[in-house]
Amino acid sequence: MKKNFKIKHYINYIVVAALGILFTVMALTDSFASPLALIQLEKIVIAVLLAVSLSVVVGFLGELSLGHAGFMCVGAYLGGKVSVLLEPVLGNSFPTLLISMAVGGVVAAAFGVIIGLPALRLRGDYLAIVTLAFGEIVRSIFMNSSRETFGGSLGLATPRFDKKYLFMVGFVMVLICLAVIQNMMKSKHGRAITSIRDSEIAARATGINVTKYKLIVFTVSSFFAGIAGVLYSFSNNNVQSTNFSYNYSIEILVMVVLGGMGSINGSIIAATLITFLDIKLQTILTGNLAVLQDFIYAIVLILIVIYNNAPGLKNFREKYNLQSLINKIAKGMQNPAKRRDDEAKWHRVPTKIEIDEVLSTKIQRDPTTSIKPDKGGND
Amino acid sequence: MSKKIIALVLAMLMVVSIFAACGSKDPATDGEGTIKIGLSGPLTGAAAVYGVAVKNAAEMAAEEINADGGMNGINIEILATDDAHDPAKVSTNYYNMVGEGMQVSLGCVTSNPCLEFCKLSAEDNVFFLTPSASNDDVPAADNAYQMCFADGNQGGVAANTVNNLGLTKIGIFYKSDDSYSNGIYEQFKANLNEGIETVEAVFTSANETDFSTQISSLKDCEFIFMPIYYTPASLFMTQAKDTMAANTVYFGCDGFDGIESAEGFDITTIPQKVTMLSHFNSKATEGMAADFIAKYTDKYGADTLNQFGASAYDCVYALVAAMEKAIENGKTVDASTSASDLCDILKEVFQGGFTFAGVTGESITWDESGYVAKDAIQYVIKEANA
Amino acid sequence: MEILETLINGLSIGGTYAMIALGYTMVYGIAKMLNFAHGDVIMVGGYTIYVVMAQTGYPLIGLAAAILFCMILGVTVEKLAYKPLRGASPLAVLITAIGVSYLLQSTAQMIFGSSPKMVTLLDLGNVKLGSLKIQWNVIITLIASFVIMLILTLFVKYTRTGRAMVAVSEDKGAAQLMGINSNAIITLTFAIGSALAACAGFFMLMKSPSLSNTMGAMPGIKAFTAAVIGGIGSIPGAMLGGILIGIVEAVSYKITVIAPYTDAIEFLILIIILLVKPSGILGKKRREKV
Repeated sequence: MKKNFKIKHYINYIVVAALGILFTVMALTDSFASPLALIQLEKIVIAVLLAVSLSVVVGFLGELSLGHAGFMCVGAYLGGKVSVLLEPVLGNSFPTLLISMAVGGVVAAAFGVIIGLPALRLRGDYLAIVTLAFGEIVRSIFMNSSRETFGGSLGLATPRFDKKYLFMVGFVMVLICLAVIQNMMKSKHGRAITSIRDSEIAARATGINVTKYKLIVFTVSSFFAGIAGVLYSFSNNNVQSTNFSYNYSIEILVMVVLGGMGSINGSIIAATLITFLDIKLQTILTGNLAVLQDFIYAIVLILIVIYNNAPGLKNFREKYNLQSLINKIAKGMQNPAKRRDDEAKWHRVPTKIEIDEVLSTKIQRDPTTSIKPDKGGND
Repeated sequence: MSKKIIALVLAMLMVVSIFAACGSKDPATDGEGTIKIGLSGPLTGAAAVYGVAVKNAAEMAAEEINADGGMNGINIEILATDDAHDPAKVSTNYYNMVGEGMQVSLGCVTSNPCLEFCKLSAEDNVFFLTPSASNDDVPAADNAYQMCFADGNQGGVAANTVNNLGLTKIGIFYKSDDSYSNGIYEQFKANLNEGIETVEAVFTSANETDFSTQISSLKDCEFIFMPIYYTPASLFMTQAKDTMAANTVYFGCDGFDGIESAEGFDITTIPQKVTMLSHFNSKATEGMAADFIAKYTDKYGADTLNQFGASAYDCVYALVAAMEKAIENGKTVDASTSASDLCDILKEVFQGGFTFAGVTGESITWDESGYVAKDAIQYVIKEANA
Repeated sequence: MEILETLINGLSIGGTYAMIALGYTMVYGIAKMLNFAHGDVIMVGGYTIYVVMAQTGYPLIGLAAAILFCMILGVTVEKLAYKPLRGASPLAVLITAIGVSYLLQSTAQMIFGSSPKMVTLLDLGNVKLGSLKIQWNVIITLIASFVIMLILTLFVKYTRTGRAMVAVSEDKGAAQLMGINSNAIITLTFAIGSALAACAGFFMLMKSPSLSNTMGAMPGIKAFTAAVIGGIGSIPGAMLGGILIGIVEAVSYKITVIAPYTDAIEFLILIIILLVKPSGILGKKRREKV
């Protein structure tokens, strides 16, 4: 065990945990001058949970889901309802949050199974529209609920958790989510899941239980989306079904795609940056400039996607990118002995499953483009 | 792989540095000698017309007040932020405005986001007077006041009006996924005489334009209650003008206002009678309302003219009047007064028999729970064509 | 009587959905991309009609201008935003389409402001059949969408360009080897799809004269649903799906108890149909080969 320990396999836990501790210390010592920072942290943590959980479906299983906000909606409403019911007994306390998260997550996971079932029969864009339809149905049901149950068109009034502490819970949930998903993907189950993405027929032929794995993926993914929903309900005084429309699902999908398909770290970074951009646009472009928010967001989105994915820009991309910049800096810092070490790496046959290197087959050939979730036999 | 790690670390460092930059802002010294009134409303998206109307009118009121010497010599400034009618964006707007030195607020333009705003402002004790978030729950906390009629109140008044008409059958046309429409509808149904038969037709935000089915459901009704906004109402009327009997009466609430000035819609082509129960009529020809209409149209054009703007205009003037009254009473109100102190001062004024005369009413007062008390006038927008 | 009336209303709603769905299905069939910006092209068409109507006063000139403008827009967007991504992951193209959708919506709000615009096109009145009143525009919408479907089917089946389209949709690489300029074919498809969206905008305005920058979003999604129900890529399927969704919507709005759930019901029907027939009603089942 000890021998195999490599820091780079745990780097994302370390970074997330370090940031979490840093922000926790800042929050406890009241170093944030504005509560806005706490709100931003909550939003970012929720977005990261959503993006990482969706990336399992889209990046690793290779199925397009446009209904992720639907699972979040289930979690937000159920968790919110539980918190409303528990508040008189336990108060707006940590146990309330914990129980709500458990209920919201589990119910969302149950819906994941329900939506995972058609996933067995449908593929690609057909599955995408079914997940979109699912999200809209869920939304419509909550929208038309009675005032007493889920608040109907007015939304469900939920207790807001102290914003000083909620993001810490969020950081812990992100760590748990990372642990569950990364370990799953590193195990033989993970390899089975990516093999389904690369070729379902081949996977089936080698005796992989495709049904089982698809259901597992949808369940895990929707569980964490449900948790994100509960966190959302605790970070707002009102849960409103209009929030969870297909547009929101698409926003999460954007994070996953921009982060690079099949890269969990990419999803984390993209979710952080996009949420941050959203908030910045919202706070900077006020008044008459508000109309520019979507405009700038759209242009940034189009340019990034084209820059990241256009086959014609491959050479340009290789010449001017963040990595080459980092390489230049890194080269200066590295000592010669270490560099030799690096060269030797190219001759090493990868025997361990390393999420970013082995699971995504294409990355080895071309480190800059993302993997296609295309099914092999479709064309 | 190590490159990726470095990339990750760099990205995270960037985030940290941005947060650190965030934290370095000091809101207290951001006064700059003006009184800052915050506002969060839908400046983009499907409900933008209401948010833009409120923002325009509030800014117009502020300019007028400043040109006139300001509030006791201090200029006022409107901070307008965009929530796109999305409650999840409200907290960001709220804390952003607090950071920029908001002392008092107009709350949110629409009800659903405003419920979020209520909780946040109650925590910090920030006074707000909302022009248009009409839900009954909005003035729940003691820092929250409404300039518009509450939905339930409107529904009740509308039901009484209908009860007195001696009808036996009426149609109701409302939007099932909208809290304004639903709120009025529920109270209307609750207060309606039991002897009156109702035919109900609903629409949702997914289809706000094609009402052929709803029209065919309602076509036998000679009186139709429509607690909806003027855009869908004008579409309904356009599509129904040949199907409905010419002696049908359309009866709306304050959301109807603006229907005459809706661009491209000529209400005279509608044969039926159109009436509404409202606090403002955008075709008013006399009094302060006419004055406001002339100024607003001159500045921003007629196509965003509606009661939202009128109400916002009143809100700004009412807040300023209340602050001036507080100064008369010996309180200190200036650019450096904290939001919480100002809130206590204003609460005292609003609870102390404060009366305000504005565009949407000649004698506006507030009860202790924050609901507005003013006259709802039944306007006949258009008589039936003979 | 009631039933007949509801049915006609359903056909009228369905006619518009069908026309949008035809555009969706064409683009999907050939470019293999979910064009989320398709609904917003309808909106652009609507605003073009509004501007031209204000200048000239003739609705048909407005329609012609809208078709032309939308075609140019469609081709430009294709060239700038989608073409560079040809060969990249289909998801990347999907995300760009979403970006284009946001871009069109916010541009429209910047130009035309936030208040909905009303534009009265043609007031044709009703035709009376016994005690049944049918609006002329309902009849025209239905006929127009049927004619367009027919023309498209014939075009795809019997013209060289149409057959080239089928070839590109089957296998782009092979089509290229056979001397078909697939890039040109895809561009042409976008032009046709955008023209159809402009027509749909015209018919939507004819029924309900309201213009706003978000007017295309929901009809776009509904039409997408319709196209999938009919079997995405199939031209008669899009028509069928559109009509079906329209009728479901009309019936559902008619029954007060379930009326608020109308959208959910439409989507539920989609799920049921896909579970029974995974490639839509008229869709071709593709056998996967290894």
